Amino acid sequence: MKRSAENRAADVRRIVLAARDVAASRDAIMDEIIRSSGLSREGVELAFEKHLELFPEDAEIASLVAAAGDAERVAVILSANVFVGALRALAIARAASADVVVRPSKRDPAFARALVRAAALRGDSSLQLDEDLDVAAIHRGQIHVYGRDETIAAVAAKSHVPVVGHGSGMGIAWISHRADFDAAAAALANDVVAFDQRGCLSPRIALVEGDDTCATSFGGTLHEALERLGRVVPRGFVPAAERADSERYVSTMTYAGKALVGSAHVVAIAPSSSPLVLPPSYRHVHVTSSANAGAATGRIAHLSRAIVAVGSDDIDSARRLAPSWARLSKLGWMQRPPFDGPVDHRVSMSASV
Amino acid sequence: MEIGYRSTALHERARAFVSAFERGEPSAESMDALACDIARFQADVIEGYARLCRARRMDPASFSSASDIVAVPTDAFKLTRVAAFAHTAIVFRTSGTTQGPQMRGEHAIRDVATYDAAAVAFGRHWLVRDLTPSKIPVLVLAPSPEEVPDSSLIHMCQLFAEAFGHPASRDETFLVRDGIIDLSTFDARVAIAMAQKEPVLLLGTSFAYVHFLDALGDASFALPRGSRVMQTGGYKGKSREVPADALRRELARVLSIDERAIVAEYGMTELSSQFYERSLFDSAAPDRFQVDASSRRPARSGPEQPAAALRTAPQPPTMKSRQIESGIKGVFAEPPWARVVPVDPETLAPVEDGTIGIAKIIDAMNVDSAVAVLTQDRVRRVPGGFELLGRAPGAPPRGCSIAIDELLGRTSNCE
Repeated sequence: MKRSAENRAADVRRIVLAARDVAASRDAIMDEIIRSSGLSREGVELAFEKHLELFPEDAEIASLVAAAGDAERVAVILSANVFVGALRALAIARAASADVVVRPSKRDPAFARALVRAAALRGDSSLQLDEDLDVAAIHRGQIHVYGRDETIAAVAAKSHVPVVGHGSGMGIAWISHRADFDAAAAALANDVVAFDQRGCLSPRIALVEGDDTCATSFGGTLHEALERLGRVVPRGFVPAAERADSERYVSTMTYAGKALVGSAHVVAIAPSSSPLVLPPSYRHVHVTSSANAGAATGRIAHLSRAIVAVGSDDIDSARRLAPSWARLSKLGWMQRPPFDGPVDHRVSMSASV
Repeated sequence: MEIGYRSTALHERARAFVSAFERGEPSAESMDALACDIARFQADVIEGYARLCRARRMDPASFSSASDIVAVPTDAFKLTRVAAFAHTAIVFRTSGTTQGPQMRGEHAIRDVATYDAAAVAFGRHWLVRDLTPSKIPVLVLAPSPEEVPDSSLIHMCQLFAEAFGHPASRDETFLVRDGIIDLSTFDARVAIAMAQKEPVLLLGTSFAYVHFLDALGDASFALPRGSRVMQTGGYKGKSREVPADALRRELARVLSIDERAIVAEYGMTELSSQFYERSLFDSAAPDRFQVDASSRRPARSGPEQPAAALRTAPQPPTMKSRQIESGIKGVFAEPPWARVVPVDPETLAPVEDGTIGIAKIIDAMNVDSAVAVLTQDRVRRVPGGFELLGRAPGAPPRGCSIAIDELLGRTSNCE
C-alpha cells in the first residue's frame, strides 16, 4: 500500500529524533569519528552543533518528502562523506520507501551506524544496516549512491535497478561591491572551515566584484578571518597527498599571483586575467575579481557543472551567475542548507539494466 | 647588464653545450654552472620567479647545484606568462584537451635556435645515430605545422623531418589531415623505402598510433628493415586508451619491427629538451627488454610489394635482432644539458636514487622561461637515467568536495 505524505513525514521526523539522540550521546562515538573523518575534535563538535539538521521546519520536511519519490525498496550506499550527511541521505531514503537498507562507508561508518541503531530504538524497524551489501544482488527498488562520479558509474554498471547518484561538487562565493569585507570574510570563513572544506557545498573559489585591488583586499581580510577561526576550530589531519597538492598550489599561485599561507589555511589571490582554477580542499580559497556578475558567469563557465552552491552577501546579484541547479545562500549559511531534499540539486536518475 | 645581452649570452652558452655534445666532447662548463646562472637571470627579470624564490627562502645567488634551483610548477604556465621577455619568437601551447581550451599552458620562446639545436642533437643521438647515410624517409603521424602552428611536438617533428629526412613535401611527411590518417601516402612512401632498402623513421603520438592500428584492423603493414618508431604523449581522450606495453607489442607486430625499435620520447610543452627511452641503443647497459617472439608477425619484405596493399597473409619475418643493439626499455636518457630530479611532492627535496618522486626537471635550454620545472610525473632514478611511472594522481577525494582531477579529468602534461 502506498504510504501517505503524512506517514512519510512522520518517518523522517523519527529519523531526525534519532539524530538528536546520537548528537546527545555523541561522546560515545566522538573518538571514532575524529579518527575516521580526520576532523579535529572541535571540527566534529562544530558539525554536530551547527551542521546536523536537528530541528527542521515542517515545510522543509514536506519538501523533502515531495522530492524523495516513491520506491518499493531503497538501498543507500554511503561514501566517506561529510559524516552528518548520513542523516539527510537516510531521511530521503526513508521518505521514499518503507524498506531501506544502508551500507555505511567502510572508512567513515560511525555516525551512520549510530543513526540506524538510534532509529531502531525509536521503533523504526524499516531501516536496516547491511555492511556487506552487494549491489549486484539487488533486484527491486532503487539504489541511492553517494560518492564521486566514477563510484556512481561503477554502481550503475553493476546494478539491476535504477540508481540515483549523488556526486561530488563544490561551492563558490560571490562578494558583491556592496559587501562589508570584514563581515563577508568572517562569514565565508565559517563556510570554509566546516568539515575542513570537504563538503560538496564547501566554497573553494571567491569571486570579488571589482578589480584586482578588491580581490587583494578581500583576500587579505579572508586570510585574517581564517587565521582567527582556525584558532577556535583547528584544522584536522591533512593526508600526505593533500599536503603535496597544497604545496603545488602555493608554489603555482606564488608565481602567478599571491599566496597567503596561514597556519592551517591558504588564501591565494589570482589576477582577473588568469584562468580560474580549483584549489585543493582543506581550507584553500582561490580569490579573484570579476567586473560584475555577468563577467563572473563567463569565468566560471568551465566549472559550472561542479558548482552545487553559491554563497553571497547579495543573493540577487549572485543569482545571475549561479547555475540553475545551485543552492543560493547568504555567506555563512552555505553549509547549512534547508532540510528540504538532496543538498545537490543536480541529482538525476539513471536506469540500469 | 642589459637583459637582452644577458639572455643572448646564456643562449650562446647553452648552444655551446649542445655543440660539444654533437662533437662528442665534454662541455666547457658544468651543467650546474650554466643552469644556476640561468636561474639567477630569471630571478632578476621575472617577478613571479623572484617571488617564488623568496617564498622558498632561497637566494638565487646561493645556488651552486642544479638541484638547488627552485622549480616552477607546470600549472604556472597555464595561469600566467612564464617568460623573461614581452616579445617572443614563438609560443608553444599545450593541447588544452585535458583541461579545456581556457587552460592551455603557454611556453614563450625568445630564441628558438637554442630549442632547435638541442632537439635535433639529442633526437639524432637516440633515434638515427646508427644510420649511414643519415637521411631517411621521415613520416609523421600528426597534422602539419600549418594545421597546428603552436604545438612544440609538431615543431620538433618538423625539425626531425628536415634534419634526418629526405626532402619531401608537407603532405608526404605529415600524414594526418583534418583528423584523418593518410594511409595511402604512408603506404606509397613505405613502398619506395622498401624498394630502396631504406629504413624509415615514423614519429607519432600514442593516440595517433591507436587510430593507426584501428584503421589497419587485422592487417599488418611491415616497415623496411632497420626502421624505427618514436612514440610520445598520452591519450588525452583522443582515442581509446591502450596500455603502453600492449601498444608497443601491437605496433611491433603490425609494423613487423622489433619492440626495441619503438622508442618512447618524453617531453612537454613547458620544456625545451626531450628525453628518450634507451630501447634502441644502449650497448653498455643490461638488456631489460622482453621480446615476445610470438608477437613477430609477417613482414612485407621486398621491392616487388604492391604499394597500396596492406598485408594480411602470413610471410616470414625479416627483422633480425642483430639489427638492434641491446636496449633498455622504460629507462629514459637525459641530455647533458638537462636533468631529471625526483623530489618529494610535499617537501620538494630530492629523494634518494631508486625512490619514486615527482619529476623536477632542470632544462638549461629554457633560458628565457623556467630553467627548473616541477611536473606531476612520477619518476625514479635508475642506472642510465630515469624511469617514468605515470602521472601522480591528485589527492583522492575525502569527502564530497570535488577533486581537481575529477573535475578536470587531467592526465599527463606530456606533449
